[in-house]
This record gives sequence, structure tokens and C-alpha cells, in this order.
Amino acid sequence: MLDFLYQSGWGALTLMLLMQIPFVIIFLTVVYKKGFVDSGPSSTHPKKYSRVEATWLGFAVVFFVLVNALSIGYMPMVASANSARAAAESNQEVLDVDVTARSWSFDISERTYEAGQPVRFQARSADTMHSFSVYHPDGRVLFTMQLVPGLEQPAARVYTFTKPGRYKVRCLEYCGMIHHAMQDELVVVEKKRS
Amino acid sequence: MLSATAIVQNTPLFGRMFTVDRSTGLEDINAWPSLMVMTSFVWLIAAALLGLLMPAVQLLEVNTNVFYTAITAHGAAMAFPFAFQLMMGVSLHRAGGCLGKKASGILPALMYYCMNIGGVLLTVAVFLGLKISYTVMFPLPLVGVQTGQWSMGLVVLGFTGIALVLTTVIFLYPFQLLRMTFFSRQHQELVLSPRTIKDPGMVGMIMAALVLLLTGTPLMIIAGAIMLGLYGLVPLTAITWATEPVVFQFAFYIFAHNLMEAMAIMVISAVYATLPLYLADGTRKLYSDKLANLALWILLVTSVTSFFHHFYNMFPALPATLSYHGNIMSWGTGMGAALSIFTILATIWKHGIRPEPGLMAILMGFVVYIFDGATAMVIANVAVNNQLHATVAVGGHAMSVLMAMSFMWMGVFYHHYPVITGRKLDRTLGNRFVALYTVGAMGLLFTFQAGGAAGMPRRIADWVQSGYMGYGVLMLIFGLVLSAAFVVYLVNLQRSREIASEGAETAEATA
Repeated sequence: MLDFLYQSGWGALTLMLLMQIPFVIIFLTVVYKKGFVDSGPSSTHPKKYSRVEATWLGFAVVFFVLVNALSIGYMPMVASANSARAAAESNQEVLDVDVTARSWSFDISERTYEAGQPVRFQARSADTMHSFSVYHPDGRVLFTMQLVPGLEQPAARVYTFTKPGRYKVRCLEYCGMIHHAMQDELVVVEKKRS
Repeated sequence: MLSATAIVQNTPLFGRMFTVDRSTGLEDINAWPSLMVMTSFVWLIAAALLGLLMPAVQLLEVNTNVFYTAITAHGAAMAFPFAFQLMMGVSLHRAGGCLGKKASGILPALMYYCMNIGGVLLTVAVFLGLKISYTVMFPLPLVGVQTGQWSMGLVVLGFTGIALVLTTVIFLYPFQLLRMTFFSRQHQELVLSPRTIKDPGMVGMIMAALVLLLTGTPLMIIAGAIMLGLYGLVPLTAITWATEPVVFQFAFYIFAHNLMEAMAIMVISAVYATLPLYLADGTRKLYSDKLANLALWILLVTSVTSFFHHFYNMFPALPATLSYHGNIMSWGTGMGAALSIFTILATIWKHGIRPEPGLMAILMGFVVYIFDGATAMVIANVAVNNQLHATVAVGGHAMSVLMAMSFMWMGVFYHHYPVITGRKLDRTLGNRFVALYTVGAMGLLFTFQAGGAAGMPRRIADWVQSGYMGYGVLMLIFGLVLSAAFVVYLVNLQRSREIASEGAETAEATA
């Protein structure tokens, strides 16, 4: 469930709906009732307003804290650190891949990886703003690296592909008239048996 | 007669819709605001057509250059000469009527001319080939020259336009608001609805002015340096501190993000000021001014440093700490929204409302605003952002917040229309406008969010080839619905009837 919520766009949409649907039901019910059914002043006791206020704000705080706390393991810097640590603990080599983005192509030092092998992408831009965004074969975005030119330290991400297949790479930061054609491909193959 | 009044009167078609009623003696708070609102709607029409053009261009697989031109011009026109200028006009009228201060003179005139001349210059540059999107994407303007996409002349023209627009947004408008609030002389005959600066309707305005001024000044310094370089007054090598991409980007987004937040603070403030006027029991008071002000303060404090959410994916260039900070602050703005929701609902529940079209536009605009707020908060989570950054989910969020704010401001303008023009609007057309706008705005919001969830990138010109045209068709459909809402709104203004003549007709009919 958490993988769905924090690792897919549809999961994010679900989180949005979890907030939007209750809000709109309550909001429109109140507006309809007090605007079109009975617009007279309510006799609700002031203490009830205070109770509702406290409950509502308490719920908002709990929801906000929960959603963000549960996301920590999925944050890219945390996920990268976890991948790198897991690789070190299992004596697995992290494959270093250098990426240079320039209008309108990617220069990728290695495009084929084994499933289950951690890959450290270090990406830079040579000219204007670009991104190195990798798509799963099913069409969802796996991760995005934002590349601002002129930075000494490249953008970095450690990622472990688990499923063999062809993974599309796209630039998602508008970079000029051929921006839409700035695409590439990574290939993940089955892990070789030793 | 003020020059603004003369311009409105002499404008074909639109002049009648926004004509200033000079008989009330309120020209000093009506004329320039009316001109600004009128001009904003002219820009709206142009920008809306460009918006509809984009999915059409994709569907017909027309030259991609047309798409990139449209996306740059649509975004720039909608954000500044339409939405910001609409806000400027309505807020100046409100501030004048609440404080009894003039919204006329050299500053409003300069605001108007800088905004619109700047908009024209930028539009010309874009149509002649400067395709940089409405976020400029620096250093793309200069890289584009190096790669032969456009000429340096167009960059100079476009940046000059941008500089004029930003001068209005960052300096002239905040100065005018602060001048009206704290310095200029009060004229009792201009007071329509007296407010103090402790009133939630005024507090937000002062906050917005200060946010724009303070967060925009670094960008103006950098933009000013770049302008000197572009005009050859200083060598470009002497201003590398300004042309360093990461410097520009951070200064840009510190301002651009807070521009949106300032506009949100302004419009929530306007909601707080207008809602009480439609309470059924006539109390004309919010449930709690303290809660309303607290919401604004939370929104202000949390929004200023939430701009780091624009840079999460630069890690490790952006340290993780700042990403976490941006995440927490972004969700902190949601706490301000939660307080606003409670205040508004408690006010409505306690006192009842008269569901006039102006108020319904404000309330449904607030619904769109909260829906968009939910999308924004989710996207501002660091983990989620890694999947949704630079998809149409994010572009859709920027569009939705502007749609929501424009909806609310159009509702506020609807409320003030009789005082400005001496004319009354039709209730049926007003309700039709609210319904169409709600459907169009919500439809677009969810289409963009669904497209983003499916991985559809923003600002790409190959929807068909990439398999996203289904979302494009929905964008076109809901865009047409939204456009119909604008048409109905303008038709309502066009058909408005003088209040005096309507009173005479009613008397005649009942005689």
C-alpha cells in the first residue's frame, strides 16, 4: 500500500482525493444547507464550535504528520542511502554511471544493467536546465533528477532496477524547441548466474 | 475626467462593460481599477485562445514550434496581464473604498502602463520566436541564442518586457498598497465600507505587498544586472554573479513561489472581507477575526521558505535538510488553509448566507483553491515529487491555483460591479457563469493531475506520439467549458442595466 502511495503517480492522486473528497462533501453540504435550505442563524452552542475546531485541526495535524512520516523511506536521498548501504553490507558493487545532458541528447556512460544491481547515476547538464527522468516500462515515472548547469556537484541517485525491460529516459525540464525529442533508453537484463 | 475613465469609455466593445459611473464621485477609486480589470479581460481572451490552441495543435499534429509559442505566451499572459492585473484592479478599488484613499495618480498609471507595455513586448518577442516558457528557464534564453533557436534581439526584447512587468509586480503595486494603507490622506467621501488594518480583509493585503517587495527585490537586482548586460552597458563577464544559473534559479523561485503565495494571501483576505457582506442574518462579521488573521499569519510564515520544493530533485546540490524544510513548510501552508476552511464554514453555519452569484463564485473558487491546495501539498512531499516533478501534475497545479484565484477575484469584482459602473448584473447569467467555471476548472484540474499520474510530461509537443492525446482531448473539452464561462461572464457585463433606469422601469411596471 505504501509503495503504491509513494512510488506511483496514481498513489499520489489517491492521497489528493483522500483530502479533497471529505472536504468537498462537508463544504458543499454546509453551503447548500445554509444557503438554499435554511439560511437562518444556527443555534449551535459556542462550545460545539470550539470542539469541532479542535477536532478538525487535530485531525489535520495527525494526517499531515502521518502522510509525511510514512514517506520518509521513499524520499530519494533516503532510498539512495539505503540502497548504497545494502550494497555495502552484501558486498555488492554499485555500478557508477555518468550522465551528461545537453540540448538535445544524453551522454550515458553505460546503458545496460543487471536486475538487482544498484546503479549510482551522477548527472550534469552541459548547457541549460535539463532533467534525467527514468520511466518504468509500464509508463510511470521511477525517478527524476533535476540538472542545473554550472554546479560542481552532480545530481546523484542510487537506484536498483528489479525488473528486466526497456526503461525510457526523458528530459522533463523544458529546454528548447526539440525538448520533446530529448529521449533515450536504458536496458535492464536478467541477473547473470555466477 | 481621469485619463483612465477616458480610455475605458473610448474602448470599443469592452468600454461599455467596464464604464465608470462618474456621478457617484468615486472616480478616484473606480477609474484606474476599472481600466485594469477591463484590460485584464482583453488579455484573458487572447490567453484563453492560446490555451485552446495547444491541445488543438497536438490533435492536428501541427508544427511543434506553434505549440511552444502558445505555451510560452499562454502562461505569461494568464499569470501576469490577466490574473495579476485583475487582482490589482479589484484590490485597489477595495483598498480605496475601505480606507478612503485615492487609487489614482502617477503610481496606478505607471502600474498600468508598465504591466501592459511589458506584456506586449514579451508577447511580440514570443511570437517572433522566443520560446522560453513562462518560467524563463534560465539560462535557456542565452543558450537558445547559442544554439540558433532565436536571436539575441528577441532575448533583449523579451527581457525588457519581463522587466517592465516585474517592476509593476514587485515595486509599483506594493508601493501603491503601502502608500494607501499607511501614508496618503483619507477622503471620507471615498469610504464605502470602513475597515482598519487589523481587519482580516486588510491584513492580507499588507502581507502580500511586503512579500512581493521583499522576495522580489533580489530578483530585480539580478534581472537589472542582466538587463545592463543585454543592453551592452556592462560586459556580460562582469555580471557572472547574476548569470550563474543556480543563482538566477533560486532568486527566481524565491520570488515566483512567493508571488503565488502573496496572491493567495490577497484573495483569501478578499474572501474574508466579502463573505460577511452576504450573511443572511445581516451581522456582517466573520466567525472569528482572530482565527482568520491567524490563518493568514500561518500562511505567510510557512510560505516564505517553502519554495525549496522547486529544487528537491537537485539532490545533493540542494542539501537534504533544505528539502525536508521545504516539505514541512509546504504542508504548513495547509494548516493555514485548514484554519481558513473552518473560519469560512463556521461563519456560514452560524449566520447563513444569501447565495448570490458573486458570493457563489467566491465560494466555489475557494473550493477549487482547496482542491488545488491538496494537490500542491501532495506534490510538495519529497517522495512524491520524485515521480510527479515536471509532469503535467505540476503544470496543472500552477494553472489550477491561478484558475481558483481568478474565480474568486471575478466573484469579488461581480460584487463591486454596481458601485464601479452604476449597473446591475443578471442573476441567471451569474449563476450560469459559476456553474460553467466550476465544471471547467475542476475538469482541467483532474485532467492535469491524472495526466501527471500517468507520467505525462509538461511542456512537450508530442502528445500523440507519446500516447497522451487522450488527456489532451479532455484538456480541450474542459478548456472549452471554461472559455464558455468567461463568455457568459462578459455577456453578463455587456447586458448589464443601469440601476437608475431599472428602478424607473420597476416603478413604471408596478404603477
